[in-house]
This record gives sequence, structure tokens and C-alpha cells, in this order.
Amino acid sequence: MIKRPGGELASRPLHFIWIADSSGSMEQDGKIQSLNTAIREAVPHMKKVAEDNPNAQVLVRAVKFSNGAQWHISQPTPVADFGWTDLSAEGETDMGKALELVAEQLKMPPMSDRALPPVLVLVSDGQPTDDFDAGLKALMDQPWGKKAVRIAISIGKDVDTEVLQKFIGNSELKPLAANSPEALVRHIKWASTAVLKSASSPAAGAEVPAGTDTANVPIPTVAPAPDAGAATATTGGTQNAGTSNTAAPPTGTPAGSAGDPNDQNTVDDVW
Amino acid sequence: MAENKNPIEWRVIGETVPGASHLRAAIPNQDNILFVRESSRSLPIILCVADGHGSPKCFRSDRGSRYVVKKSAYLLSEFLDERRGRFDTAEIESQKDYLSAELVRRWREAVEADLKKEPFTEKEFENLEKKSDAKARKLVEDNPLLAYGTTSLTVALEEDFVVYWQLGDGDMLNISETGEVTKPLSEDPRLLANETTSMCLPKAEKDFRFLVRKILAAAESPQMILLSTDGYLNSFSSEAGFFQAGTDILNMLAAENGFNDVSDNLKAWLEEATRMGSGDDCTVGIIYRPQLVGKSEKTEQSETEKAPPAEMPPAPNATPANAAPTDSQSVTPENEKDVTVTITIKKDKNKISESSFAALAETDSASSNLKNFSD
Repeated sequence: MIKRPGGELASRPLHFIWIADSSGSMEQDGKIQSLNTAIREAVPHMKKVAEDNPNAQVLVRAVKFSNGAQWHISQPTPVADFGWTDLSAEGETDMGKALELVAEQLKMPPMSDRALPPVLVLVSDGQPTDDFDAGLKALMDQPWGKKAVRIAISIGKDVDTEVLQKFIGNSELKPLAANSPEALVRHIKWASTAVLKSASSPAAGAEVPAGTDTANVPIPTVAPAPDAGAATATTGGTQNAGTSNTAAPPTGTPAGSAGDPNDQNTVDDVW
Repeated sequence: MAENKNPIEWRVIGETVPGASHLRAAIPNQDNILFVRESSRSLPIILCVADGHGSPKCFRSDRGSRYVVKKSAYLLSEFLDERRGRFDTAEIESQKDYLSAELVRRWREAVEADLKKEPFTEKEFENLEKKSDAKARKLVEDNPLLAYGTTSLTVALEEDFVVYWQLGDGDMLNISETGEVTKPLSEDPRLLANETTSMCLPKAEKDFRFLVRKILAAAESPQMILLSTDGYLNSFSSEAGFFQAGTDILNMLAAENGFNDVSDNLKAWLEEATRMGSGDDCTVGIIYRPQLVGKSEKTEQSETEKAPPAEMPPAPNATPANAAPTDSQSVTPENEKDVTVTITIKKDKNKISESSFAALAETDSASSNLKNFSD
């Protein structure tokens, strides 16, 4: 066979960005350590998911916010090489600044239009202390910000869920509540495996007619089962994220729980 | 067309392969490609490519893309035929709304006929709900066209002009004699994150991009036009790499035995692209004019004979398809084995009906007037 025409071939990039609260309140009751543990434990599962689809290149990085916001892991790192560096907690909750940082990176360039929809996972235990709306606007002003799969996890009961709901941008989908270390592990694992799997699947790479009530990434409806560490529980079907293409798991429908979503945490509530 | 112009012998090559991720997930190739040309002269050439959407809701998009390439080719062929000898590019440009609306109308008609003949089955809906949810089912029930959703890319090449006509994602490139690569159509900013405008949307006719480009002199004519579904571009790490593919292919075609080399290897190149790249179905159609030097009639003939055998089964996936143009004497069915040559459309007094046109293509590729590469 003669030499293939054209430049370098490459799988499509899928940017996965943790947006993590490292404010002072995260220090209380070991929340920051629980978050570090949860993400670290989720990484091997992310790697496995990524291996299952060689046509998507999963690139991971992280933003932290407290007094201002900084890239905690700034380079889009291939998931195979990714390792979590522990966060420490102090200061305010400048969530808006974090969204601005992310927005900057979702511009084209550096993003390319051949990318798969990015996955943004926002984790917070509090209320923004800066101009959240400005940050969200900056994010949504970017085409890739609008098209991103946006997941929100709330830690504890002091969270401003309305803010997280605005981040998700779809009233049918609610923030995922974690009121214990175990629940946090489950939700983090779910976001980083089930959602990642969906975002990198052939269906996610498949065209959808614009403007229909469909999403470009089907989001699994089955939230983490309390007893299973069921981050990979995608068997219960999927739920589309709606026209905004943003999505989070429904608040409340962990497998085995028929009632209010947050009821799942009533037994082992710590936070 | 001025009579003293030297006729340019244009040639066509095309191929479609199923996506690597589609193969892993047992999803069929949802792309289609087709070209037509008339028997009486080498132009016009009409080349159509379509990408049936991969969304679970578009579970019949392989049919949708097949219908649209046929309807588009026929419509443009009919349209240009009516204007033979009195082409007015401004007038053609002014007809873009009519053409788009008419294509949508004919495509919907084909889809509705298909639905009447073969209504959605419970199994199709079960599969949909398995991959998506109950809401998806309702969406399809409310708008059955959604199941057939597809893009549509068509180029019609005449001696004096080229028509570029596109709905949805995918790419069209012009490559000049010097290897300069340009995109004839403007970008559509809506085509991002796998979202695309589509034949299945309610106001599809409004979303077409359309351009008529005049060719005032041979030097202004592109040396090659490349159409591809987005699976090909998305397989390159950059758009520059994709553009380079266009230039490289043109250079290969210009080399000794270039037609055979490209024809023989195109499928493998696309398979490598989808495997190493996007994972999506990949389809490429090429119209080009060989360099005027270094091409003997003998070479042309041998290339034509090299086309795949006539009894090609109507497989939806990865059917080889290369076609060399032939002159008006040799095109029609004197060599029935040469099915991949676009045999031709005979028109004028005996103009065939749309239904017979499509039927020929579907039932008897060896003797039809139409060649669908992937059908």
C-alpha cells in the first residue's frame, strides 16, 4: 500500500475538568480529604473507561477555587498518565473565578472543533463569595461551554443548590447531593466513569440533529447505588440532557431509592 | 460553454467505510455516496455524499442517507438538464430556495413511502429505549423523520460552473492545480459538538448552504474537488492534516498509474483513518481532471477495466467504488461488468421518471443508469 495521504491521525479529544471547591469550609469534617480520596480512587476507573474507546482521547485537568481560582492541574493530561494531587482547603469560595478560568480554556483555540463535548464536574460545599453569574456567563459565552456536559455535586447541607442548578442549566437535572464520604465517593466515581463512558461512546461521537430535544451526550439516569460503588451502573438506560446539552445525573434517583433523592443520605449523613 | 474550449476529461473516485467504533458497537455504516453523469457528454458530473446521523434516535439513518443522495442527484441532474445550453449562473443561484425545498420534499416523500412499506417495529423502539430512553421514543413518534436523519452534500460540475450544495456537517474542498486547498462554502457555526443541521428537521430547507461558482477559464477550474463526511476530517489531528490529504491525493493522481493507486488504496486509507482517528464512518468522493500530459488512451482504458465486478451485492457497508469516466460511446452498457463506472442517465425525449431512476439503482446495478457506491 502506498503512503496514506494527509497529516497525523488522532482520536478525538475529550476534555474532563474537575472544578473543585477548596475553600476553608471544606476543611471541616474532613470534606477536603474525602474529596481527595474520592477522586484518587476514581482515577483507575476512568482509565479503564478510556481504554474501552480508543477513538476518544480523555484529557484530564483540575481547577480549584477558594480565594480566587487557580489551575490545580493545568495541563490536559492523558488519563493514562493522570494522577491526583491532594488539595488543601482555606479561604473563600470564588466559584465564579473558577468558571472564568475554565471558559478561557474552552475558547477555540485552544479547543478545536473536532473535540468531543467536554465534561465539567463542579464540586462544592458552599455558596459563591464572588460574582458567580459573571463566571457562568463567561462559560456560557463559549460554544464549548454551552455544549459541555455539566455535572454538579454538592457536599453537605450548606450548599447553594440554586447556583449549582444554574451551572447545570437544565431544570430536569439536579445536583447530586453527597452528605457523607461514601456518597461522595459514589458520586465522584459515577461522574468520572458512567458519565465519561457516555461522553466518549460512539453515541456521543454521533451526530444529532440540532435544535431537537436531544442531547449530544446521553447521560446515564442511574445514579450511584448506595451499596455498590456503582459508578459503572449504566444499565438503567440513559437520559438526554436536553437542548442545552448540559447534564447532570438526576438528583435523586439512586438505584434502590424511590423517594426524594436526598433521602439516600439520611442514614449515613455526616455533613 | 464556448465551443472552442478543449474538453476536460473529469474522473470520479469514491469510497465509504464503516466507522471503527460503529464496528465495535455493531452499528451499520450510515454514510452513502453516489455520482451520476450523462451518457451524451462527460459533464455534468453530480457527486453526492451523505452522513446518516449516529444518534440512537436516528436508527434508520442509513436509509435516510441513501434516499438523500439519490434524490439530490436526480433533482440536480433534472434541473441542469432543463437548462442545457443556456446556463445562467445567476439564475441557478436564484433557484437555491426552490432546489432545497424540493429536495426536502422529495426526501420526505421517500421516507414516508418507506415508513408505509415498513412501519417502525416494536423491536426498533425497544432498542431505542435501551440505548436512550422513553422520551427518545416519543420524539421519534412525534417526528418519524428523525429516525432517518442525515446530512446532504452535493457537487454538480459543469463546464462553466460548479454548484456546491450542503446541509449539515461534512466537508467540501477545492484543490487547485498548484495544490492550494480552499473551502468553497462558508462555515456554519451551529455545527459543533456533533450537532448538525439535518434533513429531518422541520425547516431543513432553510439550512442549506449553496454556491454557484463560475469557471471563466480552464485555469480557474479546480483540479480536484473532494467531498467527505465529517468522520474523515475528524480523524486528523488538525484541519491542516485534512487539507494535506487533499493535496497528497491530487499529487498521487498526477503520478504514473495514479488513478489505480488511489482507487486501490482509498478504502484502506479510510479504514486506517477511522481506526486511528474518529471511529466514525468515513466517506470520500473525488472529482478530478487528470493532468493533460502523460495520460494515454490506453491507460484510461485499463483503469476503467480495473473497476470492481458487476455483481456487487447491495451491501450497505464499505462497498468498493471507483469509477473512471468514459466517453459517451463507451459508457452505456457495452461493458456490463464495469458497474462501478457511472453508467449514465439518458435524458431528453426519453427522460426517465424519478421512480424508475431510483428503482434502477436499487434493483440492477449492472445495467442501471445510476451507481450508488455504497448501495
